[in-house]
Formats: sequence, C-alpha cells, structure tokens
Amino acid sequence: MNLKKFLRILVIENNEIDCKILKGMLSESSVGTFQLDFTDSLHKAFEYLQKHNFDVVLLDLNLPDCKGLETLKRVNDEFPDIAIVINTGAYEDDLGLKAVSHGAQDYLIKGKYTSYALSKALYYAVERKRVEEELKSAYTRLKEAQSQLIQIEKMNVIGGLASGVAHEVKNPLATILYGIEYLTQKIQTEDEKIGLTLKTMKESAQKANNIVKDLLDFAHSSKLDRKPENLNDIIEKSLQLTKVLLDKHRVQAIKQFGVIPSISVDANRIEQVIVDLILNAAYVMPEGGALVFRTLTRKLTKNYNDVIFYIDKKFSVGDSIVLVEIEDTGPGIPAEIKDKIFDPFFTTRRASGGVGLGLSVAKNIIQSHGGEIMLENRKEGGARVKICLKV
Amino acid sequence: MTKRKILIIDDEPHFTRMVKFNLEETGEYEVAVENEASHGVEAAMDYNPDVILLDVIMPGMEGPDVIFQLKNTESVKHIPVIFLTATVTKDEVEANHGTIAGYSFLAKPTSLTELIDCIERKTQPQY
Ligand SMILES: Nc1ncnc2c1ncn2[C@@H]1O[C@H](COP(=O)(O)OP(=O)(O)OP(=O)(O)O)[C@@H](O)[C@H]1O
Ligand SMILES: [Mg+2]
Repeated sequence: MNLKKFLRILVIENNEIDCKILKGMLSESSVGTFQLDFTDSLHKAFEYLQKHNFDVVLLDLNLPDCKGLETLKRVNDEFPDIAIVINTGAYEDDLGLKAVSHGAQDYLIKGKYTSYALSKALYYAVERKRVEEELKSAYTRLKEAQSQLIQIEKMNVIGGLASGVAHEVKNPLATILYGIEYLTQKIQTEDEKIGLTLKTMKESAQKANNIVKDLLDFAHSSKLDRKPENLNDIIEKSLQLTKVLLDKHRVQAIKQFGVIPSISVDANRIEQVIVDLILNAAYVMPEGGALVFRTLTRKLTKNYNDVIFYIDKKFSVGDSIVLVEIEDTGPGIPAEIKDKIFDPFFTTRRASGGVGLGLSVAKNIIQSHGGEIMLENRKEGGARVKICLKV
Repeated sequence: MTKRKILIIDDEPHFTRMVKFNLEETGEYEVAVENEASHGVEAAMDYNPDVILLDVIMPGMEGPDVIFQLKNTESVKHIPVIFLTATVTKDEVEANHGTIAGYSFLAKPTSLTELIDCIERKTQPQY
C-alpha cells in the first residue's frame, strides 16, 4: 500500500459538525494526504460521483434522502468500483458486519476513532477494494477458461462420434451407390420412370454422402493454431489465471524454469492443459502444499525414465525434447484408478463438480501436438505430470 | 485375353456383392469375395488374384494386419493391394496422390470408374 498516494474522498454527510471534525482530522493527519469534497444528500452524491473521480466514499447512514443499509446498497449498486467506508453515529451490534458483507470496506463509529485510525482505514479500504476487484476479474477469467475447456471437449466428443458415424454410414452408402450403378447398366427399358427412379436414388445417396462429409469437416475444424512459443511464458500465464484458486488453497507455486527453445504449439490449447493440471493439483491439496513447475530441454536417452516415450513410436532415442514436469504434494494417484484417469468422464470428485474431462482433454491436446503426457506418483509422495514435446 | 482376377477382402457382404456384380458385369474381371479378414491370406493363396481390394477396419483383424501377413507370405507377396476403405476421406487420398504410406487408397464411396481405373493401373505390366 502506498501511503504517499493522494486520496480523493467524497464525504456524504449532512451533519455540519461531523463534517468539520472529519476535515480537521484529515487535514492534520500524519498519514497520507487527502482531498475532501462534501455533499449532504445521496442524490447530490450521485451527481458528484458521476462527474468526478474519487478513490473512496465516506458514507453516513443517516441522510435526509436515504437511511440505513439501503444507503450503502444504493451507492454500491450505482458505483461498484468505488471503495466505501461507513461513518455512522448509530451503533448497532451486527450492523458493522452486515455493512461489510453488503460491500463496504470498513465500518467506523463516529467519535470512536483518532485521526490516525481514520486515515489508515481510508487507505486500507482503497487497497481492499483493489484486491477485491482483482480477485473478481481473475475469477471471471478462470470461469471463462473452464467453459472453453468444456466446449473443446464437447467438440472432441462430437468429432469422435462423427468419425465413427461417418465410417458406419459410408459403407452402406458405397453399397447402395454400386447397386445403383449396376442396375443402371442392367436395366435397359422404355419406361422413363425407371431411369428417373435410379437417377433420383443415386442423387439422394450422393447427397447423404455430402452430409457425412460436411459432418467430418465440421468435426475436424478445431485445427491447431501453431506458432513458436516459449512454454515458460505459457505456464506463467496459466499461473496468473489460477492465482485465486491457488491462493485460496494455500498452494505455493514454485517455478524451476530452464532455458528452453521455443517450440511450435497452439498457445491457447497448451494453456488450457496447464490450467487444468493446476486445477487438478489444487483440488488434491485442499490443505495447502507446493506445486513445482520444472521445464527443461534435452535429448531422449535409452534410460529407463525415457522408455515410456517410445511406446507409441512417437519419439525415438536422440530426439530433442522439451519436458514440462509438474509436481504436487497431494496424496498421489491411487493404484486402482491409475489406468482410468485419462478416460473421458472419469472423476473421483463428481460430488464437488468434477466432470472428468480435464485429463482426457489434456491428452487429446498434447497428442495432437505430437507429444505425450503422463501422470506418475513421486517417491516422496504426491503426483508428477510429465509433458513431452518435440523441439 | 483372359479375365483379370480380383480378390476383395471386406467384412461387408452387401458391399462385396455389389463390387463383384459390377466388376464382373464389365466382362473384364473375375471376382472372389472373402468376408473374413483372418481368412484373407488363405484366400489369396488359393485364388492367386491379380489385385487384392482390402478394407481397413474389419472385426478381428485390421487391414494392416492382413497386409502384413500378405507381405510375409512368399507366394502372394507380389500381388498389388488397393485399400478400399471408409476410414480415409477423398480429400485425404487426393492430398496424398492416391497413396498413403506407400499403398494405394480409394475412399469409400468411390465411383465404379475410379475403382476400375485404379485396378487397371495396378495390373499394368510396370507394376
Ligand atoms: N494431481 C493429481 N493427484 C491425484 N489424483 C489426480 C491428480 N490429477 C487428477 N487426479 C485424479 O484423476 C481424476 C481425473 O482427472 P480429470 O482432470 O480428468 O477430471 P476431474 O479433475 O475429476 O474433473 P474436471 O477436470 O473435468 O473438472 C481426478 O478426479 C482425480 O481422481
Ligand atoms: Mg481436472
């Protein structure tokens, strides 16, 4: 918090004596500098707030045109960006708490504070408001990222279905079309209607085939938009997106970034993968923990640790790779679900809103980049994700 | 001139029947059908065709398994194979000039003319 910053305050107060007291207290304050404007009713305050910029409103709850918490509510609804400190003579036990839960940053009782306490309260209120706004916007961005993920997986499911359906439908269509070709050659008749019937059948079958083709095109339309990117930057961005959740779970992110070459990836997709892995880790560490992000580049070796990458023949010994490792201090993956965690819709946290798509989407995305992703348990406890991409 | 012999290995009896009718209707070909992928190699050895038409996805065994066996069987390894399959799209085939991983591909549904053209190319002497 920057106490040197000059605070612009709108005092909404209709008691002249109170106004004088405030003026006196803040002009002689040893903490910070203030610019004060005074107004004595809510509707005049609204005009002020519309025309001028203020950092904080010092609000009495006993104005001629509005009383009690309603006053706070109206200011907050009308000007959601401004910090509000209640300054009231009416002391009721739980009014202070209620005010804070209705959006006030602090609640002061007239006559019960010093110049010093008032000045601090005003600065703290502005800072609280700022942090609140930051959390709000991070939360919105996270929500957006999550709904994007679900959208992508839906497309993947449709894609999978479409390819399956297309195959099943194209076979009988091929049969029908050959049948029509055969009949067209065999049936030589004066009856125009027979010729027309065959022609109509053929055109209809071809139309059905075009529909299948469109469906396939649509299903495959979620192509990758690859550009040279540095994975460290992508991880950094994913961490920003998930900061709120990590802070909430008291999970500490530890970056052990290596110097790695840029590789050609779809940054948005990779970010989705990282965000999802972070979410998974946060959920298995509700009581806090550490989350290490390690990036490095090297050549693949014949070592035991690398063998796993050769299984699908996507990689071979000597390939230059970028490796991303994400290690958590959670409970690790129970042996009995180890084979299922990448399956779509497999989740152990259905009750708390898990869909079970995170890892299956992640695998899809990494594999579509020609890479590999896996989860293993660490000797020290907790789980480790490895993402391997070719340079 | 003797008729050219075609073996079609595909698990869809309806489809193979239509291919057989059409190809034999031209008067140029004689067609044998095998609907069991696992009998594919045997059928090829018995029939000794000039060209094999092969589907890619069949229950029990996939096309590439069949071709692997064909290529490992001395008496049939020289027979040209055309994959006739719905697993690839026309666009993919065209983008690869008709061959994928060294094999000729036709995307189902393919017109009779395309099929015949492809068979003719495969049975020309230079092959
Ligand atoms: N870091 C981890 N440690 C332990 N178990 C994990 C970890 N990550 C995932 N899992 C297990 O794998 C399951 C599947 O994960 P996945 O991300 O696919 O789905 P989800 O997180 O349950 O739901 P969604 O991601 O769709 O919200 C989880 O429910 C959890 O049981
Ligand atoms: Mg998840």
